[in-house]
Amino acid sequence: MSRLEIYSPEGLRLDGRRWNELRRFECSINTHSHAADGSSYLEQGNNKVITLVKGPQEPSSRSQVDTAKALLRISVNITKFSKTERSKTSHKNERRVLEMQTALVRTFNKNVMLNVYPRTLINIEVHVLQQDGGIMGSLINGITLALIDAGIAMYDYISGVSVGLYDTTPLLDTNSLEENAMSTVTLGVVGKTEKLSLLLVEDKIPLDRLENVLAIGIAGTHRIRDLMDKELRKRAEKRVANALSR
Amino acid sequence: MSEVITVSTRRGGFQQFDSIADEFEEDEDVDMSDVDEGESGGEKSGLQIVTPGELVSEDPAWMRGHGTYFLDNMTYSSVAGTVSKVNRLLSVLPLKGRYSPETGDHIVGRIAEVGNKRWRVDIGGKQHAVLMLGSVNLPGGILRRKSESDELQMRSFLKEGDLLNAEVQSLFQDGSASLHTRSLKYGKLRDGVFCQVPSSLIVRSKNHTHNLPGNVTVVLGVNGYIWLRKTSKMDSARDAPSGASMGSTGGPTGAKSLKADSVSITRLEEESSWQIYVDENDPTITNSVRQTIARYANVIKALAYCEIGITQERIVSAYEASMSYSNSGSLIEKEAMESLGDDVLNAEKMRGSPL
Amino acid sequence: MAKDIEISTSEAQFILEALKQNGRLDGRSFDQFRDVEISFGREYGDVTVKMGNTKVQCRISCQIAQPYEDRPFEGLFLISTESSPMAGPQFENGNNTGEDEVLCARIIEKAVRRSGALDVEGLCIVAGSKCWAVRADVHFLDCDGGFIDASCVAVMTALLHFKKPDISVLGDRVTVHPVDEREPVSLGILHIPICVTFSFFNPQDTEENIKGDSNSEIAIIDATLKEELLRDGTLTVTLNKNREVVQVSKAGGLPMDALSLMENCHKAYTITERLTEQILDVIKKDDAERNKYATLLSSENARET
Repeated sequence: MSRLEIYSPEGLRLDGRRWNELRRFECSINTHSHAADGSSYLEQGNNKVITLVKGPQEPSSRSQVDTAKALLRISVNITKFSKTERSKTSHKNERRVLEMQTALVRTFNKNVMLNVYPRTLINIEVHVLQQDGGIMGSLINGITLALIDAGIAMYDYISGVSVGLYDTTPLLDTNSLEENAMSTVTLGVVGKTEKLSLLLVEDKIPLDRLENVLAIGIAGTHRIRDLMDKELRKRAEKRVANALSR
Repeated sequence: MSEVITVSTRRGGFQQFDSIADEFEEDEDVDMSDVDEGESGGEKSGLQIVTPGELVSEDPAWMRGHGTYFLDNMTYSSVAGTVSKVNRLLSVLPLKGRYSPETGDHIVGRIAEVGNKRWRVDIGGKQHAVLMLGSVNLPGGILRRKSESDELQMRSFLKEGDLLNAEVQSLFQDGSASLHTRSLKYGKLRDGVFCQVPSSLIVRSKNHTHNLPGNVTVVLGVNGYIWLRKTSKMDSARDAPSGASMGSTGGPTGAKSLKADSVSITRLEEESSWQIYVDENDPTITNSVRQTIARYANVIKALAYCEIGITQERIVSAYEASMSYSNSGSLIEKEAMESLGDDVLNAEKMRGSPL
Repeated sequence: MAKDIEISTSEAQFILEALKQNGRLDGRSFDQFRDVEISFGREYGDVTVKMGNTKVQCRISCQIAQPYEDRPFEGLFLISTESSPMAGPQFENGNNTGEDEVLCARIIEKAVRRSGALDVEGLCIVAGSKCWAVRADVHFLDCDGGFIDASCVAVMTALLHFKKPDISVLGDRVTVHPVDEREPVSLGILHIPICVTFSFFNPQDTEENIKGDSNSEIAIIDATLKEELLRDGTLTVTLNKNREVVQVSKAGGLPMDALSLMENCHKAYTITERLTEQILDVIKKDDAERNKYATLLSSENARET
């Protein structure tokens, strides 16, 4: 791995991006209108994620009833074929996946206005069809879109991205090759603020460099928020125009 | 979208970083102007489109309604949708969302659970609605007293999976509904087929039960649940008085002639027997009626696919347009659904009025 | 951490109100870490850490095993965390799949194992066929918050303290020398990661947190159980003395301003420095204690007299 030139002296990365460039970002909402209340399909580079939001709905068991607010549940399904090499085991009960689910639930618990939907259950399913680094950020973006599509009230967007640190240069939106070669930081940022809802650092990073990494990460998430916002507005305008013409 | 997505560092906050950013500043391929245009794009249609977290108004005079939250004087949107300003009330109407019941809504529901003196009814909302044993007509007439034996045989009236139409009687504090079926137009549904459309496509109106050509009756639940059945004697009796002025959907409801009332009263005695809760379908439904019902169901699905609001007139108009397809099964094809939607809209334009 | 314990409304309000007025129930200031008490068992690698009422025990053991096929030059290292009803009624026996237990186990794993605190290459005996398998068993004995921080100190101290039996290799033959025959050898520790956990409280409405710019959120270090039950968000920073961030975990919770998070990281560094000193100090003292007769018994001494 170390033989790959992660960041060339000319300032180009493995896939030809510069340090501050995001990967291709495409998203669409309402992709599974019959299966769920809100749905989204997101491609961030080679990450491909389908998100389905079901609810707010009647909880299936009494233990899930909270008289004050809705219960949010997220299940992440990482398919066996999501990487180049087919994984032999299902990822269902891996600690890593459980940790991701917990982190996602805690992120959205504070951002969705759960108190508006007492005694209900909001069930979110995420299917990872393909992964290529920075998957946590893509999951956050997909869930945000699907929640908005479902018409569920939330305070603001949450957008996620991961940033690597190569020597002294932060590299925005890392792919899996870069992720394996250096330490990465994953952020989840609320709207256009500088407030971090999620911050995960999994490898060693000099304390004094962390600030730079966060700065470019926040800028990246703001950009992703705008891209998601653009797509949502496009859809909304279409619908409104549709409704007016009829 | 294959353009390069570049990020420039932001103002303030991380001062240390700006020096590093400067070196790269000139490399940027795309600026963010294309996105900023989108922010105000919705205004051209006259309706302001907002997304979560967006500032809707800085005016403290507004009362904040659904779909908004506020801090100090600022009102922000919490959903993606259009801004609605009614009197002093500012709210954001989401583009999509589950049905939320309102008192007086005529809905179609499905029994989900039989509980203590109540049924829980799935009405496609955020929570199940409640139908109290005391809010239904029981066999034996209106003046019959409820006894404990009724509590024990609740399942013989309505059991899990049964469909019924009902009216929202009241709302609870948490927004869930309480239903009643204390009218002969409500109750268990039989002799037909169910289909579901987004609740936003059904407009609340005075009357939600319509007799359609071809001996079919439709119940358009406000919650988007629709029931299509063979027209019963009751249904035809209901329409008979206003039959003279069909099409204009009658005058005020109170104007129903005496004749209709006399029919209902005699019927009350007759129908208030166990008949109203039987599970058997009418054995006299003919094949042609079944086919008509199937055609109507597909027509409604086509209208829903084209996101056209569903009304009696449109169903009839789409039904007539669908006659050019001899096989009603072909109506579920994409092209057929789209052309059907266009036909309906064109027919409306020809007539000049949308309703 | 505990879902089943529910704190009464009035007590919750009291604690939160006190926090708003800069006070904590145990009289500490917001960025004061509880005093850490480290004690050793009789054997090497048996460490008990006490922080206030929190008590965590870590025991290191080792045996010879076969290395992974794809990593023939590395030994095995496993950390297992075990919670039992002994620590508190909120823990179930044999059920370690609760959200907090998983999160706690993952953070310790990332902080110690994935960061390479233990030199696993030093555990190799014969490449591809034999290596040491080191195992750290962490047991929660008493719970009053701060499990992650205490466990991390316990694991690191125990690793530093532990000594594995000496071995000699002759061709394919490996001889393990019993401890009473030959002086056992220490493990290779590359750096000492220290976890510091912050708990966040939102004194105002959610709206202010999301849209306001007052940044009035309260951050306290090393919360007790009651504070943990009431907190809105948490951040665990793992640092070492070389000013390296080993791991950061802010898994959702109250959104916090990036700059104040950075500030927290810097605060954590001073604590890291202090704790590292303390750990090295107690190890040294214990070593001296265990070997106080070494000077008397060694042959060098015999020659002198």
